[in-house]
Amino acid sequence: MTGTDFLALSPIIALAVGASVLLLQIAFLRNLKLTTGITVVTFLACLFFLFYITKLNHQTTPLLLVDPLSTFFSIVFVLCACITTFISYEYLKNRPGRNDEFFLLVVLATMGSIVLTYATHLASFILGLELMGIALYGLIAYPHQDDMSLEAAIKYLVLSGASSAALLFGFALLYAITGSLFFPDLLSGLASPEVAVGPQSPFWARQLILLGSALILAGISFKLSLAPFHMWTPDVYEGSPAPITGFLATISKGAVFAATLRLYVIGEFHNFPTIVTGLTILSIISILVGNLLALRQENIKRLLAYSSIAHFGYLLIALIAAGTLTPNGISAIEPSAYYLAGYIFTTLIATGLIAAISSSNNEENANLSDIAGLFWKNPLLALCLSVSLLSLAGIPLTAGFIGKLYIFQMGVEAGAWLLLSILIIGSGIGIYYYLRLIFSMTTDPSSSRSTLAPALPVTVSLITLTILVLYLGIYPQPLMEYLLWNT
Amino acid sequence: MNPLIIPLSHVLMLAALLFTAGLLGLLIRRNVIFILMSLEVMLNAAALAFVGASAHWGQTDGQIILLLILTIAAAEVAVGLGLVLQIQRRFKTLDLDVVSRMRG
Amino acid sequence: MENLAAEQSILPVFVFFGAILLLVATMLGIASVLGERKQTKTTDLPYESGIIAVGSSQVRLSVDFFLIAIFFVIFDLETVFIFAWAIAFFELGWHGYLAVVVFILILTIALIYEWKSGALNWGVKSQTARKETS
Repeated sequence: MTGTDFLALSPIIALAVGASVLLLQIAFLRNLKLTTGITVVTFLACLFFLFYITKLNHQTTPLLLVDPLSTFFSIVFVLCACITTFISYEYLKNRPGRNDEFFLLVVLATMGSIVLTYATHLASFILGLELMGIALYGLIAYPHQDDMSLEAAIKYLVLSGASSAALLFGFALLYAITGSLFFPDLLSGLASPEVAVGPQSPFWARQLILLGSALILAGISFKLSLAPFHMWTPDVYEGSPAPITGFLATISKGAVFAATLRLYVIGEFHNFPTIVTGLTILSIISILVGNLLALRQENIKRLLAYSSIAHFGYLLIALIAAGTLTPNGISAIEPSAYYLAGYIFTTLIATGLIAAISSSNNEENANLSDIAGLFWKNPLLALCLSVSLLSLAGIPLTAGFIGKLYIFQMGVEAGAWLLLSILIIGSGIGIYYYLRLIFSMTTDPSSSRSTLAPALPVTVSLITLTILVLYLGIYPQPLMEYLLWNT
Repeated sequence: MNPLIIPLSHVLMLAALLFTAGLLGLLIRRNVIFILMSLEVMLNAAALAFVGASAHWGQTDGQIILLLILTIAAAEVAVGLGLVLQIQRRFKTLDLDVVSRMRG
Repeated sequence: MENLAAEQSILPVFVFFGAILLLVATMLGIASVLGERKQTKTTDLPYESGIIAVGSSQVRLSVDFFLIAIFFVIFDLETVFIFAWAIAFFELGWHGYLAVVVFILILTIALIYEWKSGALNWGVKSQTARKETS
């Protein structure tokens, strides 16, 4: 371990130290305000280190590769985790029971997401994935007096565990063929079918590689809730406490996607036509299923769950098109990173607002009727939610539009016409249900009894996110250049 | 090249059988405890495949992954058992069909 | 070639396995065909000619047992990593030593947390913790 190694790991170390301090603080003095303070300081310290290493490109042991792209993802995740902390404090402060450990778990889950983003080896990949997953089981089940959250937690635990097992088994099969767990060597030289390593005949080696890749694909699809592996998503999102719905939809999924992007590009999976075909099918089903099922939802959390299924379907198009555009698949990075950042900020506004409504009323309010008349009750936050929904729908002047344009352009260049037509159909359906939410905010306020009176930090963070979404939509050049320059 | 007495393909086949058994258990069983056990079987099938492959290549990497999988499985089961306790308390049953009330 | 040799060497195991199955099937089969069946009130007792069972088998165990079992599962597995370090003690040198010290430090912090939050107390849970809640 050299000094550069420590510098590269400093964000993770900051979070680990923060988690340890939180554990000690909770052991000796339970105080929700103090816990929140330490959590925020931890995240700010982590952000400071992340900004300090933005230009660093360093392989720290075979396990972690710290490069500008993953540092960018980590900044997005930690920023969102920090905002989640503000939202969670509002959510928890009036609830009975011991709520301090909630923040500890948020810090641990964020640490898992950063490890996952930096991972270049199966060991770090699986560690990050499980650190995030296991902390999330606890977070989902946190209001354990609530039947729904228990149900959501056990469903998430079982399905997430099963998908991890599938992922691991797939990696084990690849390892049996290639003898490497390091992502760059995972499939190196296997692209040409004549090459067979190990005692198996070339035929069996190829079958094992396909089976292994299919299992990995299935495992990752579960984590990204791509259709047809999406069944758990609406239930888990609905049952989780509102701040955690946000965490699941943004940081958790984003980190898995960032890791998948790296695995896909570094591991050169795009050279396997079968995998690309599989991704295409997943993408088409996800876009259609996500958008069609979102139409009938009365619960906003469920609606966002289906919408996130569709959005990750859109994101896959970048991965599919990348292989045909550039031989090393590197062109997938820029559009998908931009889209992901836009999606994360946008979704966090919507879930944050639901959390704010839920904490103002001290129950779980996520129905369409709960935001009825929001424009008359709290115009500022209603405007934030409208911007968020318009961005999710892909209306111009928002980050969602630029992201979608980016992916569309990539699809045109790659000539993926089937995917593009599905993208257009999906977006068309999407506009309907997003606008439906906006219209319900303009209805008569007397039909809804829920109030909305968030504390200052929550309002400020939601407005900051809204400004970010608008900024990325109106003036996208800086981020584009940053991403382009770093890839 | 092949320091194994048992050929790698046999190990992989056994692991695949175990994995399938675990997956079937996960899909068929309704009791939460049995589902958690099936999950363990699936994770351990993956671990077995790693150990077999690691012995085949004469590396220790796969064995380290075994340690990680053991730890992950333990952590997962610890949280899972905590949830099982709460479920038993709230619902007075461990049948997942009874617990499952949301559509989907 | 080696594979072939290995396959031959486990062939006897399969023969043995088959023989066991056959033997057990024969024993059970003969017993069920030739044996006589009698239904008396003691037939369904756990010990047909032994002492009569007292009380219910559905004894409620304290949740504390569960909790201790969960802690055991966690802390038991942490030793795996310490053993892995101990095997390679000389190769790893001071780097490994420092890493293990950090590892044990984190475990200690977790233990302190469990102790102070009353998870290790038998029976009287959360009293200490609730007092400290502000």
